[in-house]
This record gives sequence, structure tokens and C-alpha cells, in this order.
Amino acid sequence: MHKIWLICKREYVTRVMKKSFLLMTLLSPLLIVVFYGFIFYFSFNKELADEQKTILVNDATGFFDNKLETSENIQFKYQAISLDSSKIALDSKNYYAILSINKQDDHYTYQLLSNEQPSLSTLSAISDKLEKVLKDKHLQSKGIEAGILKELNDISVQITTQKNTETGIEKGNSGATTIIGFIGAFLIYFFIFLYGVQVMKGVIEEKTNRIVEVIISSVKPFQLMLGKITGIAMVGFTQFSIWVILVTSLSGPVAALVMEMANIDPSALAKGGKEISMQGGNLELLSGFSHINIPLILSLFVFYFIGGYLFYGALFAAVGSAVDNETDTQQFMLPITLPLIFSIGIAQTVINAPGSQLAVWLSMIPFSSPIIMMIRLPFGVPTSEIIASMAFMIAGFLATTWFAGRIYRIGILTYGKKPSYQELFKWLFRKN
Amino acid sequence: MIIQIDQLNKRYQQHQALRDVSLSVQTGSIFGLLGPNGAGKTSLIRILTQITEADSGQILFEGQKLNPSHIYQMGYLPEERGLYKKMTVKDQLLYFAELKGLSNKQAKEKLKYWVDKFDIKTWLNKKVEELSKGMQQKIQFIATVVHEPKLIILDEPFSGFDPINAQLLVDEILLLKSNGASIIFSTHRMDSVELLCDHIALINQSEKILDGNVRELKQAFKKNLFEVKYTGSALLNKDWMQVIETKEKDGYITQLIHIGLNLSPNQFLQQFIQEPIGMVSFQEKLPSMEDIFISAVQQKNINN
Repeated sequence: MHKIWLICKREYVTRVMKKSFLLMTLLSPLLIVVFYGFIFYFSFNKELADEQKTILVNDATGFFDNKLETSENIQFKYQAISLDSSKIALDSKNYYAILSINKQDDHYTYQLLSNEQPSLSTLSAISDKLEKVLKDKHLQSKGIEAGILKELNDISVQITTQKNTETGIEKGNSGATTIIGFIGAFLIYFFIFLYGVQVMKGVIEEKTNRIVEVIISSVKPFQLMLGKITGIAMVGFTQFSIWVILVTSLSGPVAALVMEMANIDPSALAKGGKEISMQGGNLELLSGFSHINIPLILSLFVFYFIGGYLFYGALFAAVGSAVDNETDTQQFMLPITLPLIFSIGIAQTVINAPGSQLAVWLSMIPFSSPIIMMIRLPFGVPTSEIIASMAFMIAGFLATTWFAGRIYRIGILTYGKKPSYQELFKWLFRKN
Repeated sequence: MIIQIDQLNKRYQQHQALRDVSLSVQTGSIFGLLGPNGAGKTSLIRILTQITEADSGQILFEGQKLNPSHIYQMGYLPEERGLYKKMTVKDQLLYFAELKGLSNKQAKEKLKYWVDKFDIKTWLNKKVEELSKGMQQKIQFIATVVHEPKLIILDEPFSGFDPINAQLLVDEILLLKSNGASIIFSTHRMDSVELLCDHIALINQSEKILDGNVRELKQAFKKNLFEVKYTGSALLNKDWMQVIETKEKDGYITQLIHIGLNLSPNQFLQQFIQEPIGMVSFQEKLPSMEDIFISAVQQKNINN
């Protein structure tokens, strides 16, 4: 135990005392904020993200003339042109596309000619507008007045959710649960990758520097591996704690700053009703957080954070021990990273159906459970499932550590040719 | 006896690394483990340092069956040297000392001794990667012996050392020996350690082919060869002597001579100085370890 502690301490101190550690720890939250700032900026700033499309409507029937609704990025111009001149109009690039409308028997036909394949969202926007004109026309023909049509258009529905739990009925909030779950899952994913790779690099460093033989003559390979994995985990934890402290102490002033800017921003006020309802949505989102069992989620987050890291960390250590240099790791990294990437990739599906069989199974299997369970948790998971998943996690961690330890003890002293999977399998059962 | 090895066997997949190897190392002596590359020396050392396990056979450390607690009494310098490049000299040495069972306080005290001895105070807070290769070798040597092990195992200790540092190493090793440590040398450069070693074992193709006291072995394998140096003209074969080799340089003639078995060195010399020459020197030419190794391998092949 004492030796594991020594190794753990060395891994920790050498990493934390590096200038780059301090720099990265302080800079990455800033980078993340800036990064997301940019994403928000571009996604809300339609002028930059979207192009203005002007579509020439060549309506032979005259039925749609000046009736299509213009929206922020699609505008319509109405002009009857011949087939020959339509190519000229497109070539001159004044128009994004030409929409030709004809009538055959009782049916309208629509044809869109454009310079590029239009996106699905553009197509559906255009067809929505066409359908609306037709529907309005139909309703009007049945005697609905224009005033009533406008009232119909203004109808909008917002659903508030409630959740039946063991302690009674709680107010729910899908937005908040989704966000909390996803943040937790993503942090775990990020942590496993970042620090798992560090474990692997550390092992390769010891192997290529040939330090390992000196150390192995004083400690067991298994102790060395465990010490390394725990030491690096503690580095990650330190970094993470600093981030939490930074974020909590900074989020107050930053939020205040944002509020202030929102208040004095005249354009926000000018936008009127829409903006206010959005703010109302945000308020509801915020109040939603208070209805989620935060202590449970937080403690399980720590559990899966550590469990997932230990589970994968051991595998990363095994990969590091099996090869002589980093370029050789690719082949062995794939089977380890695949389940991780799969888990984060399928996150959206799990959010849509957190109680589905797929979600339940994925939250049991230790390869995916740290990520999938985090996503499911805010939606409410039966205690029995949580306990089962935790048990599998612990069993899985013990299994991968055993497995990795077997490969590690042979791998760190084996130089030269990159082993095949078959050889790795043999190492598992080879005597010391 | 600090080490007694009995009937040790080790097999890696297709390759028998050690076959029925038995040998013993006397406490306070320098023991040379000699043999060509791939003979099985490193395999033997890895079993001694408990990096790997033998398939069969027994090792006693000071009469006790080898167990993990003995690790603290061993210092091992592997053939492939390695230090943490980004760690400072001080942290590194303390780390290795603590891994060898010293407390932090003890480690610091021991370190102080070596710092003064090698005069490396100014280097302590430098990272290993900033040091010259020779410096790194010294640090590695200190790391090997800092916990004052009873048994020091040095695998190819002189590889990479320049002559000055090699001499420094030899001096240190002799000092450690006089302080009671036992030392095992492993090397394929047999001549490099024969002056240092009290006992040797020759390993070839996984087997020990010969072991014993260096002086006795040299006597046993000597071939009645003498080196004479004189002025005058070179002598030719006589019925009481056979010239093996003649060299001439700066007016001196140096000859390697085989004398008849019935002749003692004194009798030979009496005859020799009758010749019309100016005698300069006369010295018995004992076989080198390499010569002994070659004859031992040949003998073994004949016996098989």
C-alpha cells in the first residue's frame, strides 16, 4: 500500500507542479467560455450563420402572387419568365432559386430550379409557405374570415411537466433534466479520454525510458499500474475541483453582467413579445433545476466519474504497456474508444427515451454506464437499477484491472515487435 | 554466502533461457557473471531481482528462501538505463530510495552523503534531461546504491561510461565492497571485469559452463606461456621452447613463448639468458577470461 501511495504521489506531484498544468487549469475554463460564446454568437446571429435567399416565383397560374410569407432568410419575388431566361436569371446569381408553379387539371405542380442542391430546411420552409396559402384559401372558401385566420395563427401551446415519484408529484422540467444529464455525461466522457490517454502516455514513457525495470525490481507491476492510475485520477480531480471553484465564484458576476447587458440592450426590447417569452422559458429552466435531486445526482456523478475512469484507465494502461511508442497505440485504442464514442453518440436517443430497454441496458454495461446513467439520472431512475448498475461498474472495474494487470506485467518488459491480439490473449494466462 | 542458486530453470515460450544453473556468491565478494549476449545473464538477474519467476529451482538470500522483503537489500542497475527525464535529480533519487523502503528522512540523509561525495549539489534541482550523459550515469548509479543494499547487481555497468567515469565507478565499487557489500557484475566484455572480480561464472547458451575463483581458474587454464622482451635479434624455436608470436617495435623484440612442461620458469630463464640477447622483461602470460571462456566452450563441446 505504501508503495502504491509513493507512486501515486510521484504521478500527482510531477504533473501538478508543471507550469503547463496551472496554465491549462486556469485557461481551459476561459477557452471553453470563449468557445461556447462563439457558438452562441453564431447560432443567434442569423445574419452570419444564414444566407439571405431570394426566390423568384414564376407562377403561371397567378394564384400565389404576393401571398407567400417572407421570413428572415427567405424572400420571394414574383415575375413570369420564360424557361430560357430563367437560366440567365440564375446565372447572374441574383436569385437563389426559381420556383415554377403550374396547374395541371386540378393540381398544382411545383418545381424548384437552383444553382445548388437546396437544404432540407429550405425546402420544407418553402413547402410550408405554399401549404399555408393553400390551406388559408381552402378555409376561406369554407367561410372562415380573415380575422379568424389570424387568430388561428397566433395559437401557441406550452406544456409544463410533472413527475410522479416515490415522494409525491414533483414539478418536472425536461430542458433542465436534459441539460444536467448531458453536462454530467459529457464531463465523464471528457475526463476518461483526457486522463485515460495520460495514463497510457505515462506507461509508454516509463517503458521507452527503460525506467520500468528499475522500478519493477522494487514494486510489483500491479502496484505500479494502480499507483499511476490513482495518481493521475487525483490530478484530474484537482483540476476539476479548481474548475468548479472557478466557475461557481465567477458565474455570479458573469450572470449579473449578462443580465445588465440584456436590460440595457435596446434591440432586445425592440424585438418585443418573442424575446419576453424566451426569457420566461429561461426562468422556468432555472426553476427546473431546483426540482431535481441534486445531491443524488452529484454523488452518483462522482461515483461514475471515478468508476468510469478506473474502468477505462486500466485498459489504457494495458495498451500503453503493450506497445513501444505512441504511434503503435492506434490499433489497440480503437476497441477502447469505440464504446465511449458510441455512448456519447447515442446520448440523444437516450434523452428522447430515458426509460427504454436500450437505455436501461446501456446504463448497466460498465462500458457505457458512466455516460448513459448520467443522462438517465435526472429523469428519475429506479433505485434497484442504480444499485445494479453500480455493482456492475465495480465488478467491471475489478475485471478490467485484473485483465490490464495481466497484460501490463508482461508488456512493460517486452520490447520490439508490436504484439498481436492473439499474443495479448496469451499474456493473460502466462506465468510470471 | 549471500546468494545460493540451485538448479534454476527458466523457459520463455520457444526459448530455454536458463538450464539447471547453480552457483553461489560469497558475502563481501565481487562476482562476475560472464557470457556472450543472449546467454541468459539478464534472465538470471531478473529472477534474482524478482522481476520474473523461475520455472523451477531455488534461490537463497543469506540462507533464506528469496522473498519480496529481500528487494530492499538489493540494488539493481539494469543494462538499459532510465530515469524520469522531467524530474529533478533530487526528487528522482528520493523517489527511488523511498521505493527501496527508506523513509523520507532516511532517504534525505543518505542522499546528502552521495551529494557531497560526487559533488553534485548544484545539480540537485536540475531536471535529468538537462544533464550530460555521464552525469545521468552517475545519478543512476547513486539511485542503485543509495539505500545501502547488501547486494548490488550491475548489468553491463561500464557501457556508456568514459574512462574517467569508469574509473570513478570502479573506485566506488571497491569502496562498497570494503564496506561489506556483495556485488554481482554481469557483462559480455569479459576482460573488463576480470581484474575486479573475485569469483566468476561463465554462462553460455543458457548453461553455466564454468565457475570459480579467478586466480585459480587462470592457473588451471594456463598453458605455460611466457612473454619475453629483449634487445638483439629474434630467437627461433628450440627444443626447450616454442615461439608462438614475435613482435618488433622500437628495437625491442617481444615474443610469446611456450615452454616445455618439464621446465620450471627459473630453469627456462637460466637457459634463455645464455642466448646472445639483452634481457628486458620476463612475465608469465596467464589466459584472459575470454581465452578461458573459449577453451571452456570447446571442452564442453568435446565432452558432448
